[in-house]
Amino acid sequence: MTALLDSAALDQADGTGTTLVRLLRAEFMKLRTTSTGWFFLAGFIMFTVAALTINGFGSHYQLYPQQGLVSRAQGLAEAAHARSPAGLAAIAASMMTSGQRVGVLFALLLGVVIVTSEFASQTAAVTFVTVPRRVKVIRAKVAAAACCGALFWLVSTVMAAVATPLFLYTQHVSAPLAGWTVTRSVLLNLLGFVTWAVFGLGLGAVLRSQMASVIAAVGVYAGSFGAEGLFTLLYNLFHQGWLLGAPVIAPALAYAVMIMSGQAFPYAPAGWVGGVIMTGYTVALVAGGIAQTNRRDVI
Amino acid sequence: MVVLLAVVVIGGLVWLTRRNRGAARADHAGTDDVSPRFPGRPLGGRRVPTALMSQGRIEVRGLTKEYRGVRAVDDLSFTVEPGRVTGFLGPNGAGKTTTLRMLLDLVEPTAGTATIGGVRYADLDQPIRRVGAVLEAGAAHKDRTGRDHLRVVCQSAGIPLARADEVLELVGLGVAANRTFRGYSLGMRQRLGVAAALLGDPQVLILDEPANGLDPQGIRWMRDLLKSLAAQGRTVLVSSHLLGEMAQLADDLVIVTAGRLAAQGTVASVIGSMTWLSRALVRTQELEKLAAVLGGDVVVTPAGDGGAYITGADAVAIGEAALRAGVAIHQLVTQVPDLEAAFLELTAGKAAIR
Repeated sequence: MTALLDSAALDQADGTGTTLVRLLRAEFMKLRTTSTGWFFLAGFIMFTVAALTINGFGSHYQLYPQQGLVSRAQGLAEAAHARSPAGLAAIAASMMTSGQRVGVLFALLLGVVIVTSEFASQTAAVTFVTVPRRVKVIRAKVAAAACCGALFWLVSTVMAAVATPLFLYTQHVSAPLAGWTVTRSVLLNLLGFVTWAVFGLGLGAVLRSQMASVIAAVGVYAGSFGAEGLFTLLYNLFHQGWLLGAPVIAPALAYAVMIMSGQAFPYAPAGWVGGVIMTGYTVALVAGGIAQTNRRDVI
Repeated sequence: MVVLLAVVVIGGLVWLTRRNRGAARADHAGTDDVSPRFPGRPLGGRRVPTALMSQGRIEVRGLTKEYRGVRAVDDLSFTVEPGRVTGFLGPNGAGKTTTLRMLLDLVEPTAGTATIGGVRYADLDQPIRRVGAVLEAGAAHKDRTGRDHLRVVCQSAGIPLARADEVLELVGLGVAANRTFRGYSLGMRQRLGVAAALLGDPQVLILDEPANGLDPQGIRWMRDLLKSLAAQGRTVLVSSHLLGEMAQLADDLVIVTAGRLAAQGTVASVIGSMTWLSRALVRTQELEKLAAVLGGDVVVTPAGDGGAYITGADAVAIGEAALRAGVAIHQLVTQVPDLEAAFLELTAGKAAIR
């Protein structure tokens, strides 16, 4: 058969890498070649700068309480607590994870967009004609979302790692940035960013509609914070002790429990409970997304 | 610990980027290691015996798709042969797009099979190297350039990125390669779709309304391209509403209506099956006398300007009858049905929205 073109490129086609690696590279290329990914990253950087600034002011007032706001005795006590080794470690950990608790929303929404943009821009048919094995496509998207989550965490952490020592220096205090308190917070936030990004991807794969997925994602995150009030109300009605810890079933509170060692809200369970619940939601959504993608027609 | 993690993550990203760049460099580097184009090297996935792919025949057998009680495609069977352009015709809602999507494994059939070279699309090894498809003119991200759109497909399929530039030149979009899809006209979008279909230099081409939005030059270009591809032995299945264009382009026709097969065969045989639609245009001052001589089996319909269409008798019979009756004939022309007439007749009364 005559070739369509005297194609030097096709003559060299050797399908470098496994399908998953090829698809993962393609997903990165999709993100690189549209403005959406860059828009998210730029927004996240600006958000992190704002969070670092606000957190810096907050920490400054912990170290140097304002006389007009609290009594002199209370101010001295607060300053003494903030300047203790544990207090400084907490400030350092807080600075090192500035804005990350809300910043995961960027990872969540990018995860949503990675999959729903295929349907919004009608490229799903091209993608699945190129690679008919749809599970592999979703797997690559999961990996891409996880990498994006990790990248966002890295950007945020690097920015914080530059800003935090500078802040501590300007406040004339020092804290062990390589200590376990800081490291633990930073690592848990990495887990959080990755989990939320994959959570968003699973949600998008289940719903397909970009608008519906974005609304659902923001709703799930923001709505979670109403769970505490709801379960407190239920506790007042039924006086069952377990209701006070039950808000952890809300995804954003499960995440908060996971990264804050059970200090997310009164009667919060241990951190691992939040981790298990958050992981469970994510796995269930991805499994649902794979089932939907496999089952539904691409029209 | 944080620094260590950062190093690991950055290292991973750098590794991926370098591998990407390495592949891109290889795209441009010359090499004597030329692999055969058909079949290409295995790029992963399940291998299909070459014997099954020896012919690019498309076979559809008993294909059925039901949506909420409506049979969009109803027990449809036809065959598309390699080396020919096959026109896939039908009114709106006849099930053409659904059939093509079932062929490409985008839509799951309720019943029946659709195979390419005896193999389901989903089971093809390196599908993009075997089958190229044009489905929708708007199927690209609006913010992505034409070149990047094709490169994403190349990357997914394991085809060197440089191939994107080759097909862009082939379809005449080289100068617009770096323009975003948003800025493409409908005709340019169609050309980009064709470019994507040609990336893998495929043996089989499936095109859904590829001429929509093309200007006359574009339609001519598309016709020449598809004809040349068929002439190379490739299978070309193309759906269209442009009956005049299809008459010039297609060798074979598959006509569907209401999800069912209405006709299949060469263009000549499909039109030939409609010979009863043939009629003669006659101009004479003595039409009534001529009709009386021809007998009661003919139907005479006024055509204006003193002329009339006569069906039920061919030009020879009309001429001989006029001679016998001494009727002067000013004009006698045989009118055979064209593709449009045949199509409208085949789909008459079945084109309603279901």
